[in-house]
Amino acid sequence: MAHSILIIDDEDDIREVAALSLETVAGWEVVMASSGAQGLARAIEYQPDAILLDVMMPGMDGPTTFRELRKNPATAKIPVLLLTAKVQSSDQRRFADLGVQAVLVKPFDPLTLSTQIANVLGWS
Amino acid sequence: MDPIAKPDLSAAIDQLWIRFLPEIRERVAVLEAAVAAFATDQLTEAHQEAANTAAHKLAGVLGTFNLTKGTVLARELEIMYSRENGPEPALAARLASIAAELRVMVENRK
Repeated sequence: MAHSILIIDDEDDIREVAALSLETVAGWEVVMASSGAQGLARAIEYQPDAILLDVMMPGMDGPTTFRELRKNPATAKIPVLLLTAKVQSSDQRRFADLGVQAVLVKPFDPLTLSTQIANVLGWS
Repeated sequence: MDPIAKPDLSAAIDQLWIRFLPEIRERVAVLEAAVAAFATDQLTEAHQEAANTAAHKLAGVLGTFNLTKGTVLARELEIMYSRENGPEPALAARLASIAAELRVMVENRK
């Protein structure tokens, strides 16, 4: 069975390229959300195998969304990978300390994004 | 599902580039407006914040569309615009040069 993944990102272009990449390169099922609040609702509804979560979003940002996901028993165990354009090591450490599975950096290579995610999650 | 062939993925990404080009152009326009304001000593906090955000978004997306140098240049701008008091006056020419280079890059991506 194909893996399923929820992409939460307010930037349409990033969200669409990531979805294209994961659907076509890896054959995964992709659900998208354009805000933290919408992402929380979709995570509860769809119960994806993993969540790819943007850090900088208006309203509820990525770290806040992650904490809300962890608070809810329905989403607490879904692996979350943060996606950020912040490349400074201090930012990377701060995000990693949240307890996410991994911090992935934008820009990503559409050809290898699914491999990066699969390696982190141990998906073969 | 069989993995997609590289040429097919590239073609699909090219289609997304065309679809999102207006938004990407708009981000470059924000940078150009900030350069113009900075050159006339009229860079407001709002200009600076908008330029910082535009640079951040361009840094995150251009490399995904195979414009790796665009990501590097946009990151340089993001650092300059994220300073509390705005870019250093001595960097005016560099700000303008990067914005111009990004414009050329975005308009010429095939």
